[in-house]
Amino acid sequence: MSDQNHDKIMGHAADNDGIEEYDNALPNWWVGLFLFCIVWGIGYAVDYHFISHRSQAGYYDVEMAEAAVKWPAPAAGSVAPLTPEVLAEGKEIFTQNCVACHGADMHGKIGPNLVDDVWIHGGTQADITKTITTGVKEKGMPTWEPILGPDRVAKVAAYVFSSKEPPSPSPQ
Amino acid sequence: MDQPSPTVPAVYDDAIVKKFAWATMIWGFVGMLVGVIIALELAYWPTNLSIPYITFGRLRPLHTNAVIFAFGGNIVFAGIYYSMQRLMKVRMWNDILSNFHFWGWQAIIVSAALTLPLGLTEGKEYAELIWPIDVAIAVVWVAFAINFFGTIAIRKVAHLYVAIWFYMSFVITIPVLHIVNSLAVPATLTRSYPIYSGMTDALVQWWYGHNAVGFFLTTPFLGLMYYFLPRAAERPVYSYRLSIIHFWGLVFLYIWAGPHHLLYSGLPDWAQTLGMVFSIMLLAPSWGGMLNGLLTLRGAWDRLRTDPVLKFYVVGVSFYGMSTFEGPMMSIRAVNALAHYTSWVVGHVHSGALGWNGMVTFGTLYWLLPRLYKRPLYSTDLATLHFWIATIGIVLYTISMWAGGLNEGLMARAIDDHGQLLYPMWKDIITRLQPFYWVRFGGGLLFLSGVVLMLFNAAMTAFGPTTQSAPGAAPAK
Repeated sequence: MSDQNHDKIMGHAADNDGIEEYDNALPNWWVGLFLFCIVWGIGYAVDYHFISHRSQAGYYDVEMAEAAVKWPAPAAGSVAPLTPEVLAEGKEIFTQNCVACHGADMHGKIGPNLVDDVWIHGGTQADITKTITTGVKEKGMPTWEPILGPDRVAKVAAYVFSSKEPPSPSPQ
Repeated sequence: MDQPSPTVPAVYDDAIVKKFAWATMIWGFVGMLVGVIIALELAYWPTNLSIPYITFGRLRPLHTNAVIFAFGGNIVFAGIYYSMQRLMKVRMWNDILSNFHFWGWQAIIVSAALTLPLGLTEGKEYAELIWPIDVAIAVVWVAFAINFFGTIAIRKVAHLYVAIWFYMSFVITIPVLHIVNSLAVPATLTRSYPIYSGMTDALVQWWYGHNAVGFFLTTPFLGLMYYFLPRAAERPVYSYRLSIIHFWGLVFLYIWAGPHHLLYSGLPDWAQTLGMVFSIMLLAPSWGGMLNGLLTLRGAWDRLRTDPVLKFYVVGVSFYGMSTFEGPMMSIRAVNALAHYTSWVVGHVHSGALGWNGMVTFGTLYWLLPRLYKRPLYSTDLATLHFWIATIGIVLYTISMWAGGLNEGLMARAIDDHGQLLYPMWKDIITRLQPFYWVRFGGGLLFLSGVVLMLFNAAMTAFGPTTQSAPGAAPAK
């Protein structure tokens, strides 16, 4: 700003429909900002790819490895214990997520009856846990594992398994 | 015909400017009305009345196309036709091409307004229009470009003013982006297959999408700023050198920044890094434009109290600086992980679109209308009211979308003690956003109301009783 040519007119006004232009210098802080952004950008790119060797896939692997330690996946075929606490929680999960298709009385609506003797995808507690975990895509049963997580899938499966005895016979 | 006056020689074609100015206002109203309707549909879905043609998915591309290409496009054309004739000291090279450009562009907008609600789309954001309309855009643009460069060729001045460079970058780059992104093999009259697939398609799409922002909503609007702001302020442009450096900085850096729309996607890491670092480098050249605009007002700040044109320009240029700071920040990988796919992006876009493009457009129109019709503005008070309503509307819009978007981003990544998503169901998040959607609807409604005021003011300025037109007189309230 201490430039002695400050606010010196360029003299193009006749060509510019009367608009004058000053020949002012670039503000120092603006030049500094521009250079900083360029240097930072180059530095970041070199560091990311050639010094720290970071990558999107690498971050994914690190996060998954950390998660595997913090929240180990349940062993295949494992089921939840049929304790009153588990069943109460399973019932709550069922009410929130399953009644729309299977009915509050579990007699089936869009989805099949869950309290008769017929099991389309197997009737053991492990079978039911697996069916809820993976879903049955072609019939519209969602894959619940990513939504509920293995813990809550196991609990709601325990509840469905233990609710086999129909309170009253249904034609469905 | 208008009588020639000393300031506006009769050789200039101002009829074409009037046409584009009215098209700007009318399409602006339509585009923003559709925006307000879809904002209401997000806050209260039964608004779509279960009519497929007015559901969110069909109206949203109509809204974006109308405000960008109809509202934004027409004001840029109005400003170019007005200013370039005066900067070149010649009439446009060819009046037939000028009118072909105007009517062709309006026909394209009408065909967009008919096809998009019918669900006819290419499914590419900001490039939804089906292939016959794409061809029409290219043809009309070539006619405009011939006329534009023809006018430069026959100019009666030696020096090309900075506004003209910015216009040139717009006239040259837009057809390149449009044609490359729209390349497709037609199957039927309304359907086609893009020649790109998968990640290539996505990258070409966002090279186009980002540079539509850069070369449709940024450089030509900076051209408008460089012409209309010093004219309105009656002050010299702050720095010629700054205008050169930030122009070349912008046009060189913008074209690389598109991949920041594809961070954390299947795009190779190196291309993601490229998009991010070029976005960071864009900060200073963008701010160069803001600085040159604001510093040009040195010595004219007192007039801000009374002149609505300068009010619109100052807020517009300030929003430009704000959103060109926000953009590079959102391009940083860690910030993008939180912001991407949330309402924050919508807020960012609208701080640019309403704050920068909208306010610059209004300022330009309020400056142009009295000069085009050689009558004073019908009501300065109404224009000032428009300014305040629009500013409050933008603030409500952006703040609600920032707050809503942060909520959304944080909820989407929240994890419980078992390592499970805390809100795995989309409805858990969307119901939390509803209050923000209502505030956004209110902000948009205010902004639209301002446009209605402007339409009235413009109509009265152009066609109202002449008895009201005493220079500088306060209007009937």
